[in-house]
Amino acid sequence: MGNIWVMGKKEFASYFASPIAYVAIAVFLVVVGLKFFIVDTFFKTGEASLRSFFELVPAFFVFYLPAIAMRLVSEEKRLGTFELLATLPVSDAEIVLGKFTGALGFLKITLLLTLVYPLMLGLLGAPDWGAIIGGYIGLLLIGSAFLAIGLMASTWTRSQIVAYILGAVLSSLFFFIDRILAAFFEEAKKVAEYFSFSSHFSNFTRGVIDTRDLVFFVSMIALCLVVATFSLNRRRWN
Amino acid sequence: MSQSAATPMIEVADLWKRYGEIEALKGISFSINKGEIVGFLGPNGAGKSTCLKIMTCFIPPTSGSVRIGGLDVQEHSRAVRKRFGYLPESAPLYTDMVAYDYLKFVGALRGVTGRKLAKRIPEVAEKCGVTDVLGQVVGTLSKGYRQRVCLAQALIHDPEILVLDEPTVGLDPNQVVEIRTLIKDLGRERTVILSTHILPEVLVTCDRVVIIHRGKIVANGTPQELQEAQASNPPVVLRIGADGLSSEAVLSTLRGQPWAGSARVRPVGLAGEMEFEIASKGADDARERTISLAQAQKWRLLEVRRELLDLEGIFRKSTQE
Repeated sequence: MGNIWVMGKKEFASYFASPIAYVAIAVFLVVVGLKFFIVDTFFKTGEASLRSFFELVPAFFVFYLPAIAMRLVSEEKRLGTFELLATLPVSDAEIVLGKFTGALGFLKITLLLTLVYPLMLGLLGAPDWGAIIGGYIGLLLIGSAFLAIGLMASTWTRSQIVAYILGAVLSSLFFFIDRILAAFFEEAKKVAEYFSFSSHFSNFTRGVIDTRDLVFFVSMIALCLVVATFSLNRRRWN
Repeated sequence: MSQSAATPMIEVADLWKRYGEIEALKGISFSINKGEIVGFLGPNGAGKSTCLKIMTCFIPPTSGSVRIGGLDVQEHSRAVRKRFGYLPESAPLYTDMVAYDYLKFVGALRGVTGRKLAKRIPEVAEKCGVTDVLGQVVGTLSKGYRQRVCLAQALIHDPEILVLDEPTVGLDPNQVVEIRTLIKDLGRERTVILSTHILPEVLVTCDRVVIIHRGKIVANGTPQELQEAQASNPPVVLRIGADGLSSEAVLSTLRGQPWAGSARVRPVGLAGEMEFEIASKGADDARERTISLAQAQKWRLLEVRRELLDLEGIFRKSTQE
């Protein structure tokens, strides 16, 4: 547990050691802000809800979070620091969980900064707090799942770019799968919906926290982290 | 865990490593006793790093075993990893971290925490000469400082074993001397294994040399032992004035002697002088016979000596096939 925390803190801090993190957060906030105020003309509709926010953010996360996760392991492999890390008395699972914890910290910061929107709604009107709290829990879960996918992709390659592309492709596949499949086979829709991140996520934005959705995201995250651990562990195989 | 004098600290037994088609290690066995500084010497690509990577539990061997302090590196990987400090080849570091934070990070993962860690960082920094740069971002440091920050990392938990892969590569001559002195100093209370392709390094710092070439051990002993082993029948070197003689003619005369095994020309920097190397057939000293031959042939004799191979010669001889 201690090792995971130490690694997580280091990963989290390293995001903010370069300007990239600030730029990424700024871009995220600007895009969300533009959509919220300009495109959806928040002040004109006069609706105290974050519906459009909860529509945009997960779609944005599909491309944003793989960029946050891409360097986690691939950079260690490229720099050769992985050799040092792996020869410390730390297990591969601890490495994966530590890295995930650090990236999760970044996601939490990003989400924390968007809390200004619900606060504003609260001041101006009477929003449905259940939907907002549910939506944020949903964002944390779907975001964590994208990070886990990105982290898994990052263990497969030394190249951050390749890790990003793999992460973004897999993330968008899981996010849009129901829409993609439904376009071809109407009958596959039910199955596709089961695997679709967006359909599981949409329940949260209605303020419904369903165990099935929770289990889906948590097992998706666990699966990716297990695969990532195996992929690190592969060097120990003959 | 008590360590009897009989059990070696590091025991490598018939180690093989195959990377696809390439055989990096072809059955390496050696052992290192507690407190020894052993130099792992070999040309680039000899298999030194591969062997160290197996010893430090980074990759598994194809077959064979490594025991550290009596524990198998594969079965007791984590316990083994606690016992050594490792400086990998080319000192990989997180370039975006401040040196102090980096040492703190490694220390914490090594189980050194809190006040103990706060006390230990300045100590190892002092030892490795990086006190002045602790506050700097690693990426801004020179190669020499990076190397020493990485060495400091390997010492943070005061390990009993130090594994150093090419510790002096990329340093300037003064830094090289400093690091060698430091290693010698560290080796007083620790077991050290270092790899290098630089000979003087081994002579200056190591108690024992293991020469490895193409995945095999070709020599193993103290520098003195290696020299003595080679000294049983050293070749005779003959230097004569050129005086219009052709080297082929001299060579064929030399080769024609019943006591001479083989002879070859050795390059000399000086015009008007020629040098030959003659290996005698038996175990006896061929210097006197060489002198009489030179006199009989009326060669202008300049020098006759037996060539005891220095470590460099041993290295060259054992790594050139």
